[in-house]
Amino acid sequence: MQRKRTKTVDDPIFEVRDTTVSFDMERGESKVLNEVNIDVDRGEVLGVVGESGSGKSMFASALLDAVVDPGVLTGDITFHPESGEAIDLLNLSQEQVKQVRWEEISMVFQGAMSSFNPTMSIGDHFRETLAVHDYDVEEGMERAEELLADLYLESEQVLDSYPHELSGGMSQRALIALSLVLEPEVLVMDEPTAALDLLMQRSIIRLIRQIADERDLTIVFITHDLPLVANLADRIAVLYAFEFVEVGPAYEVLTEAKHPYTRALLNSTPNLETPREQMRPIEGAAPDPVSVPNGCSYHPRCPLADATCERDDPPLESDTPEDGHVAACHYVEKVPETVPLTLQEVKVNE
Amino acid sequence: MYILKRLGQAFVTFVAVITVTFGLIRAMPGGPADYIRARVMRNRGSEGVSMSEINSLTEAYTNFDPSTPVYVQYFDYVTNILQGNLGQSVSFAGQSVNSLIIKAAPWTIFLLTIAILLTFAVGIVLGAVMAYREGSRFDTGSTVLSMFVNSVPYYVAALLLVYVFSIQLSIFPQSGNYAVGLEPGLTPIFIADVFYHAALPVASLVLTGFGGVAITMRGNSIQEIGEDYIRVAHLRGVPGRRIAVRYVGRNALLPMYTNLMISVGFMFGGSVILEQIFAYPGLGNYLLQGIHARDYPLMMGIFIVITAAVLICILIADLTYGLIDPRVSAGEGKEAY
Repeated sequence: MQRKRTKTVDDPIFEVRDTTVSFDMERGESKVLNEVNIDVDRGEVLGVVGESGSGKSMFASALLDAVVDPGVLTGDITFHPESGEAIDLLNLSQEQVKQVRWEEISMVFQGAMSSFNPTMSIGDHFRETLAVHDYDVEEGMERAEELLADLYLESEQVLDSYPHELSGGMSQRALIALSLVLEPEVLVMDEPTAALDLLMQRSIIRLIRQIADERDLTIVFITHDLPLVANLADRIAVLYAFEFVEVGPAYEVLTEAKHPYTRALLNSTPNLETPREQMRPIEGAAPDPVSVPNGCSYHPRCPLADATCERDDPPLESDTPEDGHVAACHYVEKVPETVPLTLQEVKVNE
Repeated sequence: MYILKRLGQAFVTFVAVITVTFGLIRAMPGGPADYIRARVMRNRGSEGVSMSEINSLTEAYTNFDPSTPVYVQYFDYVTNILQGNLGQSVSFAGQSVNSLIIKAAPWTIFLLTIAILLTFAVGIVLGAVMAYREGSRFDTGSTVLSMFVNSVPYYVAALLLVYVFSIQLSIFPQSGNYAVGLEPGLTPIFIADVFYHAALPVASLVLTGFGGVAITMRGNSIQEIGEDYIRVAHLRGVPGRRIAVRYVGRNALLPMYTNLMISVGFMFGGSVILEQIFAYPGLGNYLLQGIHARDYPLMMGIFIVITAAVLICILIADLTYGLIDPRVSAGEGKEAY
């Protein structure tokens, strides 16, 4: 099946507006997601990339309105189901939440091992999920077996197993199957491959791509590993200091990154082709959520920063919005020469 | 295979305990043989007693004949006990240790079963509620209370209860297992009276025991509540009540199953002083009488029965743990001790 790969969002399944997640801490209010705006297109795979502590997981939780206490989620997140009316995700009744979560928008967590109750068999997790959502359990279990088989697991054997009897890769795949058993439209994946070895990561990525294509799934894939999503995502959104700093089609973001942070991130990615002297970590540290720098949050680490950057927060925009590639930087045109990409050829498997 | 191994281990432990008791009896100055000899001589005067008669008497009481070599004595002693013959009581004339134990054990088991069940039921419920209200005033208050009662020895509580409820207020009987003159039988009056008499001993064990259970349960539950799979279960739409029972409750309880079985052993030991305070005719009471009367066969018999009870409880814990917790399948050998 041919996937559409539009550069701009023309049929949004999610509209995220001014969404903030804040925690009240003794040191002050901590905003771990700061008024972010982004649309997710129906049927796309959106890769959300950021270093640890940049707000990635909070963004994932926000999409399910599942921010853990005492975090406060504000703003607007509108979900447009395939059929039916738009749903205002942040103002749902208890009953509506049950109808949306896992049935429409599902989630896969990092650490699949700890996502299963150790004293329940894998099959019971499936049966329980189907039962509490009033689905036909028998029919649902057939679907579960198909899903597991699609993920190259011995479905009967896995369903009879207890979580500790599965390997990391197996339980991750079982968790993906569990998240899809109610046939959701959207799957939010929070670092689903973080605990796996490289080979298993690649094979899971391939499987996710395959499942997304077969089932018209929209996937929001959250990771810290930029090259990993290169093979998977249609579009990439880069998070820095709890805000999106660059959003664009995957290939463009990887080859013609507009934001100095994205470029620095690309340059710091280890690979075999770049001479070691040219690989650079990004100087400095990511900001603390209680004291995000004024102006552009990246200015203390940016080689281009000047007085404007310290004063004004650049908007996430572009002179040419039709190509769908936007970056939050005052000096977009100066970036390529100041921060050259060390690796010119990024391999993207089309 | 695992079951055979565990049964074998339990058997070896049991024989080791018998061996130690045998050694203790022989090592004690003024041991049972001397004691019996002294008694016989006192009764009949020194003339009419032959050495062989004393030896055969000693054998009847203690299961070994002092005139034979040590290894023969040891072998006789062990085989007798393994055949279920614990010897004759010295202080209760004409009664075998077996019959005394059979008479006393049901009362102790009755008392301990109720006490343990209540202790765990109260502790588990309280601990779970504390965990769900972590940090609240209820939680803080209950933690302080649990710590406090847990540090009160049960015999102090027992004395206090006797003083307040039987001596001062005369609500509960001071001692005994049922009212004097009551015909034992499965009549409602008799059963009610047995529970009435058990109230204070049970209360002193429960009141001083539930705190520890509650604190353990609270800790286990709080740890469970913080697990990832609890959050995932919430997102999957599993109702909160089901999560509390099937996820948090069950997973927090499982590690305490072994505690439960081991506490049976501790309570058997504790029954000695408790039954003394309430003059309750259980094993502990007989043990103490045996010690006072230098009734070695009775003492040893009760020691061995208590040891066997603890061994059996731990064995049951080991063999059944795999059935209730899938993480421990039989064969991996998670052992209670």
